[in-house]
Amino acid sequence: MRILVVEDDAGIAGGLSATLQQRGYAVDVCGSVAAAWSALRAESFSAVLLDLGLPDLDGGELLQRLRASPAPAPGEAALPDPATPVMILTARDQVRQRIAGLDLGADDYLTKPFDVDELEARLRALLRRSAGRAAPTIRHGDLEVDPAARTVRRAGVLVDMSPREFSVLRVLLESRGRVLSRQQIEERLYSWQTAVESNTIEVHIHHLRRKLGNDRIVTMRGVGYFIPADPAA
Amino acid sequence: MTSSLKPPTPLPEPAPTPAGRGAAPARRQRSLTWLLLCWTLGALVLVWGSFVFMAYQTGVQEADELTDGHLASVAALLLNLAPGRAVDSARATRRTDMPWLKAHDYQQSLSVAQWDATGRLLTHTGTAPLPAFETPEGFADLRLGSPDAPAWRAFSQWDAERERKVMVLLDLQERDDLAEDIAGQMIEPGLWLLPVVALALGLAVRRGLRPLYSLSHDVVALDVAGTQRLAARTPLREFAPVVASINTLLDRQQAVLSRERRLANEVAHELRTPLSSIVLNADALARGLPPEQHAQALDRIGRDALRAGHVLDQLLALARTSRTRLQEAEVVDLAALARQVSAEYAQAAWEHGGSIAVAAPSPAVLHGNAVLLELAMRNLLENALRHTPAGTRIEVQVGVGTPPDADADRGLDGDAEGGAEAGADAASAAWLQVCDDGARAGTPACPPPVDSLRLGHEIVTRVAQVHGGRFGPAPAPAPFTTCWRIVLANSTDTQER
Repeated sequence: MRILVVEDDAGIAGGLSATLQQRGYAVDVCGSVAAAWSALRAESFSAVLLDLGLPDLDGGELLQRLRASPAPAPGEAALPDPATPVMILTARDQVRQRIAGLDLGADDYLTKPFDVDELEARLRALLRRSAGRAAPTIRHGDLEVDPAARTVRRAGVLVDMSPREFSVLRVLLESRGRVLSRQQIEERLYSWQTAVESNTIEVHIHHLRRKLGNDRIVTMRGVGYFIPADPAA
Repeated sequence: MTSSLKPPTPLPEPAPTPAGRGAAPARRQRSLTWLLLCWTLGALVLVWGSFVFMAYQTGVQEADELTDGHLASVAALLLNLAPGRAVDSARATRRTDMPWLKAHDYQQSLSVAQWDATGRLLTHTGTAPLPAFETPEGFADLRLGSPDAPAWRAFSQWDAERERKVMVLLDLQERDDLAEDIAGQMIEPGLWLLPVVALALGLAVRRGLRPLYSLSHDVVALDVAGTQRLAARTPLREFAPVVASINTLLDRQQAVLSRERRLANEVAHELRTPLSSIVLNADALARGLPPEQHAQALDRIGRDALRAGHVLDQLLALARTSRTRLQEAEVVDLAALARQVSAEYAQAAWEHGGSIAVAAPSPAVLHGNAVLLELAMRNLLENALRHTPAGTRIEVQVGVGTPPDADADRGLDGDAEGGAEAGADAASAAWLQVCDDGARAGTPACPPPVDSLRLGHEIVTRVAQVHGGRFGPAPAPAPFTTCWRIVLANSTDTQER
């Protein structure tokens, strides 16, 4: 999951980046509305963590611009994606300010300072809702993925998995029934600063197939990978 | 709006203070309606009572005059008639009954006695005992017979030849009854009308006070924290200054609240930001970081802790300026203070690659609080060091009287912090400004500040206000690019105001 952190304070931005990366997220940081808008127009992000007091403009301006962007046609991707979940992280703690933030189009509002576990739980909930799920775990056949505990069980048995393998599996499961190209998977897993080797995704797919079974992830030659939608779902 | 049928509500009583709740029960507050009614009805009763008393006195006096005139008329009538014999009492003619007279029978019983010049009784009619022949001419109150016998009002007169003397008598009790009857009939309508007039007056007072009740309700319903203003529903001339004063107070209160809200937001931001950073970096450290990131996170935590500490220092200073007043006012040489404080920042300025200078006459004396003035100076100097790029020249300028560019200085009233209006009218005793050339052309970009200017400026604003002065940006004298100025009034002037 790739998160865009829009925060001008170096301490918070660095801390958020470090702690979210440790929790398996790819994090990009922008310190102004202008930089964040450029990023949103260039890349797809799973969610945006937005500070309001930014040096060039108020963070609410970015939120309004994002929500006012034209919605993509069904089946097509367009940037910036107006449906991108946005969580406001700010020191403005008054009720009317929270209401104003949510009314601007934010999906959640968290006041600084915050508990990092709470932040991640809210982030998971945002991502879950944006993927159209209500249940905290993702089920596919005999597979059960718990994003909070970052565990995978196959037929009830815990499957040992590296953080990156878990992220690839989660991306494919969140997009069940849709083919994702290698680039699309990389965009969702790696930040700008991360150097990605050309066969990294193939290696992770190979490991996942070995652990979960060969027919779990389907290759569409010349296009990418996908996990077929569960017929029962 | 209160209905005309609805009794007016008494003026509201103030809410009991927390201190008063546990103490003796609060005294019931007096009602203006009740007070007005008491005074109005009291005045009415006084005037009415005077009227009744005078009417009674007039009634009695008129009755006296009437009966006396009656006696004199009868005496004159008898003296002018030829003397004759009177019939004995058994054959005397009775007075005619006149039952249609409502209050009093004005046919009073008169008694008459006539003597000749030698004192021989010629006639004696009526129920009065025979009076003495020697009774002097004119009116007299006589007791005939025993001392406890009823008194008689008498009038005696000789005829022109002094051959015959007539005395006419009337029972005093009858005369007094007549007097009381006349007086009673004069005051009776007044006594009946008094309660009616009092009731009408009470209703008129309450109706007349209705605009005041409305105003009172509106004042009670005012939300001081909101943006409400008071509008008199009945535009009475007497209310205009009250409404204007309340609205002025509301405006001031709302401006203060708005300013406090902005300051609270600023403080929240200043304090929450380093704390959030500490929490996030500590969490990252707890989960394990590569050595380089580990060192960076530790460094960041240390700097953010100091930053939070700096904000707390500022808050404490702010609280101190809020508590302090000018009771500790003393003679302060602003120029000497500026030199002393600036000297302490010389090393910091040198490390910053710049310099600090002081341009001040000696002495620049005013009455003020030296501790607060030093606090304000330190804030301005620290801001000049924190928020300017390396190599910045800073100069502290001090002067007495009005600043040289006083016209441009008007901008101070609406200073950046929105607060120096308190001392806008005070005569300037001295001024101090901190100028820097941090925005000069070709200056390298200023490093991101570790805090905002607002808290520091708020402290300086409050120090200026305590001294009856004002604070804000001022035109920077060349070669400087930024200038912040405090204009101070003498504390004696401030206290007088």
